[in-house]
Amino acid sequence: MANPTLEMIHGLLYSKGLHFGHPSGLARIVGGMSGGMMDVVPFLGPQIHDHAMTVAKLPARLYYWDASLLVDTHLAVDRWYGFDSDTVVADAYNFEVEALGAKMIYSDNAMPTVDVGSPLIKQAADLDRLGPLDPSKGRIPMAIETGRLFMKKAPGPISGGFFCSHWSMICQAMGYPKAVRAIKRDKGFATALFDWVNDQVLLPFMRAYARAGVKNANGADAWAAFPNLTPELVEEWVLPYARKLREQCKKELKMNAAAGAAAADYCEEDPSKFDKEMMFRCLAVGVKTFPLKVAPSAMGRTQDWNMTWLREFAEKEGKNGKKIPITASLNGRFMRDSTPDQIVAKLAQWIDILGRDGGMIVFIGNVPADTPPLNIHTAVKATHTLGHYPISADLSTIKVSPPAYRPFDEWLKGQPEAEVIFKAREWKPGRTAVVA
Amino acid sequence: MTDQLADLQKAIVEGDDTQAARLVEAALAHGLPALDILNKGVVAGINKAGELWAANKYFLPDVILAADAFKAAMLPLEPRIKASRGAQPTHKFVIGVVQGDMHDLGKSLVIAMLTSAGFEVVDLGIDVPHDRFVQAVQQHQPAIVGLGAYMSTTMLEMKDVIGELKKQGLRERVKIMVGGVPTSQEFADEVGADAWGKDALQTMQKALALVGGSHG
Repeated sequence: MANPTLEMIHGLLYSKGLHFGHPSGLARIVGGMSGGMMDVVPFLGPQIHDHAMTVAKLPARLYYWDASLLVDTHLAVDRWYGFDSDTVVADAYNFEVEALGAKMIYSDNAMPTVDVGSPLIKQAADLDRLGPLDPSKGRIPMAIETGRLFMKKAPGPISGGFFCSHWSMICQAMGYPKAVRAIKRDKGFATALFDWVNDQVLLPFMRAYARAGVKNANGADAWAAFPNLTPELVEEWVLPYARKLREQCKKELKMNAAAGAAAADYCEEDPSKFDKEMMFRCLAVGVKTFPLKVAPSAMGRTQDWNMTWLREFAEKEGKNGKKIPITASLNGRFMRDSTPDQIVAKLAQWIDILGRDGGMIVFIGNVPADTPPLNIHTAVKATHTLGHYPISADLSTIKVSPPAYRPFDEWLKGQPEAEVIFKAREWKPGRTAVVA
Repeated sequence: MTDQLADLQKAIVEGDDTQAARLVEAALAHGLPALDILNKGVVAGINKAGELWAANKYFLPDVILAADAFKAAMLPLEPRIKASRGAQPTHKFVIGVVQGDMHDLGKSLVIAMLTSAGFEVVDLGIDVPHDRFVQAVQQHQPAIVGLGAYMSTTMLEMKDVIGELKKQGLRERVKIMVGGVPTSQEFADEVGADAWGKDALQTMQKALALVGGSHG
C-alpha cells in the first residue's frame, strides 16, 4: 500500500480493532496518534539532521545547502534505522535571520549557527531597517525546495516545510536576554517584535511555501521551552501569535502553518527541581501547540521523569476513562551517552507505564550528531519488540536481542539514495556555489 | 540605613535595575561602607533570587532581570571597593558562562563573592564562544579563568574551551575553575580543570587557595 490516504485510513481502522493487513509506518503513527492500539508501539522519526549527516559522512557545507541531498539523506538514514515516519528539517532556527543578514558561523562538519556576538536587532529602529523577508535570499529557496521534496518523496500528514517560530526567531535575532527584557519591561517593543516576525518575516515565507505547493509547515520554538519561558508567558505571547499565523495562512493560503512546536516543553534540567504542578502547567499549555490533542514530551530530561505523572496528565485530559495519546520522547543526550541495556530498560519501564492501552508514540528529542548508531537501532528494536501488542504482562520476560544491522555504507548500496550520497562525498569546497 | 539595604535587596530580587543603581548611589552618598552595601544589599539580594530559583518560584526570565539589577548595582560599587583596597595587589579572574548557556544567576553570585574577596573580575557574560575566552586570557592575563554552565548539554563546551587554551599555548599561564549545577569534581578532573566550585562561597575559597591565600 503506497497511498498515504489509504495508509492513514488503515491506521485509523486498525487502531479501532479492525485488524487486516500489515500496518505501514504511517498507519502506525496515525493509529497511535488517534489513541488506539496498533500492531506495535510506533516510533516517530526524530529530528536527526546533523546525526544523519554524520552517519552518511557528508560535508556540512554541501549538506546544509542542497535540498535534494538533505532530503535523500534523511529518508535513507530513517529507513536504515526503521523509524515509522520521517521528519526532515535542517537547522530550522537559522534560515530567516540568515536571509535577513544575520552574521553566521559556517563550518565544515557542523550545521550553520548564528553568531550571537553580532545580533541582527539591537534596537527598535532595526526593525524598519531590516524590512520584510525576501524569500529569494539566503537559504530560503533551499528550505522551500526541502519542504516540496519531503512532501513528494514521503507524503503524509506530517510532511512539509519548517520555519522558526516567533519567539525563537526574536531570540535568534537579538539574543535571549534582550528578548526577555523586552517582554518583561517593554511590552510595546515586544509587540513590535512579534508583529514584525509574523507580518514581515513569516507571512512572506509561508506565501513562498504556498506558491511552491507546500501545504504544511511546522514552526520550531525551543526557545519557548520551560524554563526559558514560563507557561504563562507562552500563553501571553507565543500562543496568540501561533494562532494568528495559523489563521492567516489558513484563510489566505489554504495552508497549515503550525507555529510554537516545543513551546512550554518541560525542560527542567535539575531532577531535584522536578515539580508535578509545574510539569502539568507546562503540559497543559504545550497541548495547545499541537493540531491533535496529545500529552507532549520532547527535549526534556525525560530519562529522570516519573512517567506516571505523564500518564496521569494524559488521563486527566482524556474522556470516558480513555487517556489522550502520549509522545514519549527519549532525551537526545540519554540516547548518546547510555548503553544499549540502559535504553532497553528505560523503554521497558515506559511501555509498562504508558503503552499497555495504546496511544503511545516513542520519539527522540533531537538526535545528537555523535550518537552511536547501535543505540538508535536498539531503541527502535526494543520499542517494536517490547511494544508488540498485546504487551506482555511481565516485560522482564521479553528478551530484546542486540539489533542485527549492516553498516550504513554497505546497506546503502542499491538503495535509491545511494548515488546522491556517495557522489556528495566527493564534493570539495568551491565546486558548488554556497555562501559559506 | 537598614531600610536602604533592605530596599536594595528587594530591587535586586525584583530585577529593577534602575532602582538598584539609584539605591547604591544613595547608600554611598549616605556614607555606608562599600563592602557593607555589597554584602548586605547586593549579595543578599542575588542570594534571595537564587533561593527563589531553587524553590521553583523564579524562572529564567526572573533570574535574567535579577542579574541585570545586580550588574547595575555593581557599576557604582566596584570602583569604591577597589579604592577601599588601596594599592594592594589584586588578582584578575575572568569569568563567563559557556556558549549555548544563558544562565546568569550563579555567575552573578560568584562575581559578588570574588569581588568581596578582592579579585578584579572580568565578566565575559553568558553564551560566551571559545575564542572570547582565549582573547580574554590574552588581553587580561588573569590568574584564573572560571567557566560556568547550568545545563548538562552546555557543560561539555568547557572541555573545548580548555582544549582551545591549550592549543593557543595559554593553558599553563592560567588556573581554570569550572562550576554550575551539572558539574562535579569528577567532571572537573575529566576536563582538566584546576578546581571545581560547588557554589559561590566555595568558588571564592578555592580561588583564593589557587592564588596562594587571601588578599585584598
